[in-house]
Amino acid sequence: MSIVALDILTTAAILFVVASGLMMILGVMKLINFAHGAFLTVGGYAAYLTTQAGISPWLAMPLAGLFGFFAGLIIERVIVRPLYDRPLDAILATWGLGIVIGQLITLGFGREVQFAASPLSGTMALAGIEYSSYRIAASLIALIIAGALTALLYLTRFGLNARAVIMNETLARGLGIDSQKVRALTFGLGAGLACAAGALITPLLSVDPNMGLPWLVNSFMLVLVSGVSIPSLLLASLLLGGAQVLVSTYLSPILGGLTIVVLAALILRINPKGLSLD
Amino acid sequence: MMTRLLSTLAVVAALTTGPALAEESIKIGIPVGLSGANSVVAPSVVQSAELAAEEINASGGILGKQVELVVADDGSGAQGAQRAFDSLVFQDKVNVLISMETSAARNAGLPIVNRGKVPYIYTSFYEGRSCSPWMYVNAWVPEQQVAPIVDHFMKEFSAKTYFLVGSDYAFGRGMLEFTRSYVESKGGTVVGEEYLPMDGSDWTAIISKLKAANPDALITSTAGGAPNVTLTKQLRAAGVNIPYGNLAVDEGTAKAMGADATGIFIAASYITGIDSPENKTFLAAMEKKFGADLKTPNDLSVPQYEAVYLYKAAVEKAGSTDPQAVIDALDEVSFTGPRGSITMNKQRHAPLTMYLGQVQEDGSVSVIQSFSNVDPGEQCPQLAN
Repeated sequence: MSIVALDILTTAAILFVVASGLMMILGVMKLINFAHGAFLTVGGYAAYLTTQAGISPWLAMPLAGLFGFFAGLIIERVIVRPLYDRPLDAILATWGLGIVIGQLITLGFGREVQFAASPLSGTMALAGIEYSSYRIAASLIALIIAGALTALLYLTRFGLNARAVIMNETLARGLGIDSQKVRALTFGLGAGLACAAGALITPLLSVDPNMGLPWLVNSFMLVLVSGVSIPSLLLASLLLGGAQVLVSTYLSPILGGLTIVVLAALILRINPKGLSLD
Repeated sequence: MMTRLLSTLAVVAALTTGPALAEESIKIGIPVGLSGANSVVAPSVVQSAELAAEEINASGGILGKQVELVVADDGSGAQGAQRAFDSLVFQDKVNVLISMETSAARNAGLPIVNRGKVPYIYTSFYEGRSCSPWMYVNAWVPEQQVAPIVDHFMKEFSAKTYFLVGSDYAFGRGMLEFTRSYVESKGGTVVGEEYLPMDGSDWTAIISKLKAANPDALITSTAGGAPNVTLTKQLRAAGVNIPYGNLAVDEGTAKAMGADATGIFIAASYITGIDSPENKTFLAAMEKKFGADLKTPNDLSVPQYEAVYLYKAAVEKAGSTDPQAVIDALDEVSFTGPRGSITMNKQRHAPLTMYLGQVQEDGSVSVIQSFSNVDPGEQCPQLAN
């Protein structure tokens, strides 16, 4: 029973990290970033390159995050900013961007599976259960990221500005907040989080040009259900991720793969606001 | 260098003889999973076909005609295979299809093969009992592969309880169905049998069930490539260290996985360490042709090499590339290649020498035991000769 509890907690934590970048961008920019899956893949390849360069695998995640942040700033300036007034086109542009990134990766690295080193191997005893050390470490990292994001949003000037833009962008601009700068930094932050998440999940997976794709759908569903708020994204990850683990464990892993999507659709059908509080 | 020379020659020949060359060459279609689940192994398959074609062309071709390879990506799945087979059979009008593919891709391609009436040599090990008047198979089926692993586990580890994990597709389910009946026929029990969709990568729940069931041994049968890697990594991360037989891993993948693959048992008809002159010549020729780009030859790529030669032998016996004549000749010819002498004379399948191996720490596979001329059993009684 308790091994299932650990499965639920670690799955939820990983889902949270994977979805957080998508949520940040949706909140501030009102933009569903369909390149999110490709950003995750880029993070995986960043981890692969880190391994190739002989750098400690612990540094893969921060390096991937930094790379994603700067790449995100450039992408925002070149692709997203000219389309601010055409939200639908902007969404399509991110979708196209995702395809382009995927193909560039295929060109550069080939289609085959690559391998990145894991910073931690083996198991540790937790409450009498032998459990994968890396999954536990990944969950702790997820909690740290949740904490850091909360601190960023509630304790810093940037966070205050970002929240103002989330609530009412016109009013925020009227009060002298440079919303363009907030948008640019947010896109960088979202891309950086996505790349870091890609590097985080890589030791559990294989690195290939499509590795991010299955996660895009789940992140999208989680963010739709949770709305823009860190606590409600945590709740959504726990609820939907937990349901996925339970269905996989007690019914069938094949149905488990559908759980998040089906449950999200049901929740939104009953309550169009999902889990968000406002 | 050799390739460049040959392609220069081909260009010169094309310039001098014009379109006649295109009609005179023998086209071999290779639908293969360059993307998707098979993407790890597919390049090695293409390489071994290239070596066979180069060798055959260098020694005068087949019936005096040069061999031309047409490679198409089937995306490792049914949809891609339909496109790949369709364009190879009806647009490129290939003389024969020779390919290693997923069972999903093979099953999607077979109706097209039957419609186009093109000989098809399937070179991938698979779950068995796929029959078509146009198809031959020169790789192993469960009857030939499962027994060595299960027998070894029962004898060496006294394993009574087994847990089975697979990818949810024809090969995964077919192999494990056979494994279950074989284990039960030998007095063992299967305490769990779990599947994940082919593109699934999160094995968490299955691994937790495995640990709860606490079996003596584990046997897996995933799609080659990514699913095999993710499952093995997550098993090791979860500290699963019981005897682990993998029905779908090849030496190349095992090597790339590094430490996580150590200790895995495999049963295969080809292992690079086979000590025969044919194998040594083959390995040296591969090394010479591809150098640093060489993908480790394996149990999926070597049958591809041999199948090109089997096709050559059949065409030469039939005296033409006429599809029906080639099909009639294919079960009578043999070829002695890296895996030994292969004849596809058992209901369109081939008796094979099987090797039980274990992955070592450096990623190489050491042979523990070999079993000669293992019979494929009743595969296609309706096509018996």
